[in-house]
Amino acid sequence: MVAPPVLYSEHVDFRMRLVLATLSGRAIKIDRIRSDDMEPGLKDYEVSFLRLLEAITNGSVIEISYTGTTVIYKPGLIVNGTVTHNCPLSRAVGYFLEPVLLLAPFGKSALSLTLQGVTSNGIDLGVDTIRTAIFPIYNKFGITQQELRVIKRGAPPLGGGEVSVFLPHVVLQPNTLHAAVKTPSVSKIRGVAYSTRVSPASVNRIIEGARGVLSITGCETFIYSDVARGEESGKSPGFGVSLVAEARSGWCYTAESVGGPGETPEDVGERAARALLEEVALGGMVSRSQVKSLIVLMVIGKEDVGRVLIGKGVIDEGFVRLLRDIKTMWGTEVRIKEQETLDEEDEQAEGLDEYVVSIKGVGFINSSKKIA
Amino acid sequence: MEQQNKAHRAVRKKSQKVATQNNGRNPKAFAVAAPRRLERQARRTHDVNEKRFHVPMVDRTPEEPPPVIVAVVGPPGTGKTTLIKSLVRRYTKHTLSDIRGPVTVVSGKRRRLTFIECGNDMNSMIDIGKIADLVLLMIDGNFGFEMETMEFLNILAPHGFPRILGIATHLDLFKSPASLRASKKRLKRRLWTEVYKGAKLFYLSGVMNGRYPDREILNLARFISVMRFRPLKWRNEHSYLLADRIVDITHPAEIERNSKIDRKITIYGYVHGTPLSALNARVHVPGIGDLTISDIERLPDPCPTPYQEKKDVEEGKIKRRKRLDDRLKVIYAPMSDVGGVLIDKDAVYIDIGHRSFVEGEEKGVGERLVVGLQNAKTTLGEGAAGIRLFSGAEALNEINPEDDEDDDIRKGNSGRKERRHGRAITDESYGGDSDVGNDAEGDDEDEDYDDADAEEAAYSKSMASRLVDNDEGGAEEFEFADSDSDLADYNDVDDSDVDSGDLRWKSNLADRALKDYKRRKWDIGRLLYLDHISPEDVIMRWKHEQLSSTVADGEEEDIEDDASDSENGDRDNGDDFFKKRENSSILPVDAEVIDRTIPVYDDEGLKDKWSGSSPAFAAVKGRFMTRQSDENDEINPSDFDGDGDELSGNFEDLETGQTITGSSTEGAKQDSVSGEKEAEEQKEMSYDKVREANARKKEKLRLRFEEEEEQEDDGLGDDDPEKKLYDTWHDAQKAKIAKQLEINKAEFDEMDSATRERVEGYRAGHYVRIVIDNIPCEFIETLDPKFPVIIGSLLASEDRLGFLQVRIKRHRWHKKILKSNDPLIFSLGWRRFQSIPIYTTSDSRTRNRMLKYTPEHLHCTGTFYGPLIAPNTGFCAVQSVANGAASGAFRIAATGIVLDVDQSVQIVKKLKLVGTPYKIFKNTAFIQGMFNSALEVAKFEGASIKTVSGIRGQIKRALSKPEGHYRATFEDKILMSDIVILRAWYPIQPRKLYNPVTSLLLNEKTEWQGMRLTGELRHEKNLPLPQLKDSEYTTIERSVRRFNPLRIPKTIRSELPFKSQIAMMNPQKKESYLQKRAVVLGGTEKKKRDMMQKVMTLRNEQVRKRQEKKQERKTAYQKKIAENEEKRKERERKDKREFFQRQGKKRSAGEPGGGGKRHRGDYE
Repeated sequence: MVAPPVLYSEHVDFRMRLVLATLSGRAIKIDRIRSDDMEPGLKDYEVSFLRLLEAITNGSVIEISYTGTTVIYKPGLIVNGTVTHNCPLSRAVGYFLEPVLLLAPFGKSALSLTLQGVTSNGIDLGVDTIRTAIFPIYNKFGITQQELRVIKRGAPPLGGGEVSVFLPHVVLQPNTLHAAVKTPSVSKIRGVAYSTRVSPASVNRIIEGARGVLSITGCETFIYSDVARGEESGKSPGFGVSLVAEARSGWCYTAESVGGPGETPEDVGERAARALLEEVALGGMVSRSQVKSLIVLMVIGKEDVGRVLIGKGVIDEGFVRLLRDIKTMWGTEVRIKEQETLDEEDEQAEGLDEYVVSIKGVGFINSSKKIA
Repeated sequence: MEQQNKAHRAVRKKSQKVATQNNGRNPKAFAVAAPRRLERQARRTHDVNEKRFHVPMVDRTPEEPPPVIVAVVGPPGTGKTTLIKSLVRRYTKHTLSDIRGPVTVVSGKRRRLTFIECGNDMNSMIDIGKIADLVLLMIDGNFGFEMETMEFLNILAPHGFPRILGIATHLDLFKSPASLRASKKRLKRRLWTEVYKGAKLFYLSGVMNGRYPDREILNLARFISVMRFRPLKWRNEHSYLLADRIVDITHPAEIERNSKIDRKITIYGYVHGTPLSALNARVHVPGIGDLTISDIERLPDPCPTPYQEKKDVEEGKIKRRKRLDDRLKVIYAPMSDVGGVLIDKDAVYIDIGHRSFVEGEEKGVGERLVVGLQNAKTTLGEGAAGIRLFSGAEALNEINPEDDEDDDIRKGNSGRKERRHGRAITDESYGGDSDVGNDAEGDDEDEDYDDADAEEAAYSKSMASRLVDNDEGGAEEFEFADSDSDLADYNDVDDSDVDSGDLRWKSNLADRALKDYKRRKWDIGRLLYLDHISPEDVIMRWKHEQLSSTVADGEEEDIEDDASDSENGDRDNGDDFFKKRENSSILPVDAEVIDRTIPVYDDEGLKDKWSGSSPAFAAVKGRFMTRQSDENDEINPSDFDGDGDELSGNFEDLETGQTITGSSTEGAKQDSVSGEKEAEEQKEMSYDKVREANARKKEKLRLRFEEEEEQEDDGLGDDDPEKKLYDTWHDAQKAKIAKQLEINKAEFDEMDSATRERVEGYRAGHYVRIVIDNIPCEFIETLDPKFPVIIGSLLASEDRLGFLQVRIKRHRWHKKILKSNDPLIFSLGWRRFQSIPIYTTSDSRTRNRMLKYTPEHLHCTGTFYGPLIAPNTGFCAVQSVANGAASGAFRIAATGIVLDVDQSVQIVKKLKLVGTPYKIFKNTAFIQGMFNSALEVAKFEGASIKTVSGIRGQIKRALSKPEGHYRATFEDKILMSDIVILRAWYPIQPRKLYNPVTSLLLNEKTEWQGMRLTGELRHEKNLPLPQLKDSEYTTIERSVRRFNPLRIPKTIRSELPFKSQIAMMNPQKKESYLQKRAVVLGGTEKKKRDMMQKVMTLRNEQVRKRQEKKQERKTAYQKKIAENEEKRKERERKDKREFFQRQGKKRSAGEPGGGGKRHRGDYE
């Protein structure tokens, strides 16, 4: 008597649902994927992601219907290994890397993944953001030693970038997180501004723009410049910046922006800087682009309660959908309660609308990990 | 003249300090008398201390623990039932006549015990072994350890050893105290080797009044009640439940229609282990299979501990008891019919004895009516006459199919959706509910029982009241109720109400709700999981955003529709199947790119917000540490590149007090300043408020402290001795666990019970009622309380099938060696299943090579198909669980541990291809007979080959002419007589058999038989073993090989250096002197020869005679030996016969499965 597949509809949260299914081991069926659309069915990047999943797992069964509007996914075991994946140019490598980061620590062995394509596009997480803002989240859960090297930078539309990621740390289960008391204070701001196939001066202009906006914080700011030349630049010209506001406790907020057509580098820098300020203003321990990974890692912990502080602005539709998906997958609910601001003296906490999210882990165990 | 002596030197006083230091001893003389011994002693002390440590484990036993499961195990006739009866009598003063199923009693202030008797079939032993907290191992003191006991102990070992208490019975049968003493000692020694040194063994003497002597039972009971238990790994990760009671709640009409229909059953029991998930938990019931819980619900504890009762009284949940009656000592054994009262959620069943009703002799009108109804062949309205609703109306013969369909859809066509609400329990429970109108009547009826059974009625009342309290006061509860009353606040419509008709009030409600909408403050915790409200809507409502006018109209109705939709659990139900859904898409229409990670920013808005010194920034200013405050913080740009070291922030030693603007650490400093201000305010505030505020502040500080500690690794303080809180790693781990448990408790205590159940699940100690759909009807039809029914929860990953690689070892007591590809029944995790293992060994870690059989006394690796249980889980395996197949030998075939799980395996089998040379050149040879075609050869080109004599070579090329022949080269010239061998590896796959042992679905539960061994089948069908012609052994004829002498050609010989010259001589042609001389005897020589001949003749004769004598003696001796042997065999045969006669008597006594009584005469 095998458990029936979990039913989902539409392509929303496609990656996250597949990740949850892989972690829990339950089969899922997603139907009505863009069934009312002019181009019904899965997009190229979604199919590509399914292929990537197939590559890092063993025994997965993926059935895509004739029209592509229905997918049945029976997850296998995560085995990792050495994988090279060519990402379609419609999405950045961050689209593929973000879910893989969630899976790789719970596999059988280390994952050494090479992704080729667009390195950042302003929609998906850029590679610099992943390295500087997503890895620290994993470190909080005791998952360490990640390495990410940008071999080539590829800007949209033609990409041509290459990133190699090495995730050697295989764990039994993530640690229980307790971070529900104090909103971290930003101690310094760091960033990476990069350009490919454009004048190297544009990077400095980005930095200038960003620093201009960030100067009001009075915070120590340093933005690195990374100008890709020759071999290491991709096929299209482009530039962008990824900013991280770091706290001493290891938490950080992040924002990034990528230059669009006709945009000046200063605008890009300023935009990213403002977005960063906005994220810091939302409060909580993490910014919006980090919160989903955080929640999933908390859910698959031991059967203990972990707590984290989340700003009100961070709780959005995607957050609600994630919690609902988690419920359908594991039957577990989370509790959200308002953070009480008690000390009146604590001026920094004032004006912040924050919530404590308490999550009891589902007692997940990485069953594919061998014993010696 | 007086002598002038030099004055005596004053005695130098020893300094006081030195004296005390040395204590009057010479420290050099008494340093260490025996340094070696001292060292040894120190080492031993350390060893002993170290041995006491266990890996720290989280003990998740809640405050009110579930009953301790005490399993009574032993071979038939050892007095298991008698022991349970005695113990139950001791604890409750009840005398049970017939024990069926688990019996729960209260044994102490905070402890309950569930006794369960374990039968001697393999299935029961395995199941009980997995759930028992304490095993009372019954041993017939007169007989010693029996096979069942040993089997049970070996089942326990791989599944985590629970506590074991040996109990030796039948000790009154010993005649002499000396033999009793010796026997006790022997038993104890044996138990110690099996369990652990120092394991407790109790001795029970004879039976009096069907019970063991009170004094001995009292001692045993005391011992049990102080026993402490260690958490076991598997049970610490799974929740499980021993079924107290099982009820079939399938609609009787459906059973009537089809007696073989899958049943819907409820199972009652205490949750053990981790909390049981509240929603669609996947469980395994050993003996049935994997199932999904369709509904679960907490019931009032039928067997509360005094501690719990006291708490309830304090909280005003139940009335204080005036006096403690002996009969109030609680026992709960629903299957055993204690006191004849059964209490269900919806009814109380009272057994009034079977005498009062005799079929065919009904007494009153009521009885006749009921019997008449029961006997009716057809249901109401089914007959030709139809059903007449009103006296004047026409008879209805068929029901409007539309209605019917509608009804079916609404009800999901799967039996009753709503639970029936019985009277006895629910009366007071839903105080305000209209459907319980007969409160008073219910009470009255309760009174009626009074004269008969006063306590029972009181009990049921208290149960009822407890149920009320459990729900924690009406209104709160309804808001959180999980199914249909979710939206009770304003727009929810109870489904049943819709069915019943009146809808008019509903529209009003929706309107009103719409008006209320803006005033409402939504709680995100509740909105979050209301599935019929879209996530966008959730956020919108919660954040007080305006509904856009376009959505507002349809919105409310949508919610209702969806709600009823989800109720029906049917996404494509009738009416909207063909209709295109208007807003079927839950996605925002304009979202061009979905599934993006970087949020969308309103660029213009942000520009305004964050330009210059805007008010927005003033709010967050405090969150940034300015550069001045960071001066100590070295800027080290190179840190940033790459490694996450710097990101994890190792800045603990930094003085944070220097921060100028609002870093939170500053708060502490400001505390003292603001203290005075507070003091003034305090006058105005009432004490309560102050206290409350202080408590909250304290709590907050505690949390902060906790968190900071968390960050400073494990409190061991690796480098800094000042930070070192704990002496050892062990202490630190234990403290960490304790702290986490505290946090859990604090978090859960804050929640109300409904939220807690959803977030945490039903925790251990709760008495729950579980509804399971689609159970095969055989389970209910053949239900026998003697066989335990266990529900074990499955982790998400355990629900998959795949290949398991295990380390396995044949049990040393098992008679047979295990063969690859022979089915074996595994007990792994909760499951018992049959699978087909392949045994392998690792060839220097390069490949897994298949073994035909398990090694005799070694571990080997096994691979089989089955459910993916996490590595490090132990298992045991048996060849058959059927009692009928038991030969009396030890049944546990193997034990082991899971090493690895995967969806595919690589196992190879050794394959040797053999060929012979037919033409040999120098190093090249042509080989035949290894392959059949050139294609095959092509596949193996370059493969290394070897002759039997060890000459290595390589396959070069296939020959075109004789198909399958090839050319090979060797490191040396091979012989024509050599055999050439190619060693290859052939991949094989284990067969995918996963066959759960469905013993509970059988009528004969002990006789489950799965796939049989090939040998068994052949034996049964009387088929001969197929023999391969090639595998037959024949006598090997080895012709004598003659080798020609080595001849070296003359030319070469002449070329050889002198050293290597072969000295060769031509054969002599002439006869030598010795050959050609003639010898003639004469004189003394002749005499001498004659003499010698005589002497030798005499000597030979003497030897012959001696040998003859010797032979004679030998035959006589051998005859004697043979006689002795004959006698010995005879004696052994007799002994054996006697033994098995005795054994047979014993078995036949216990045959009916428990309750086997042994007569004393058996031992004579």
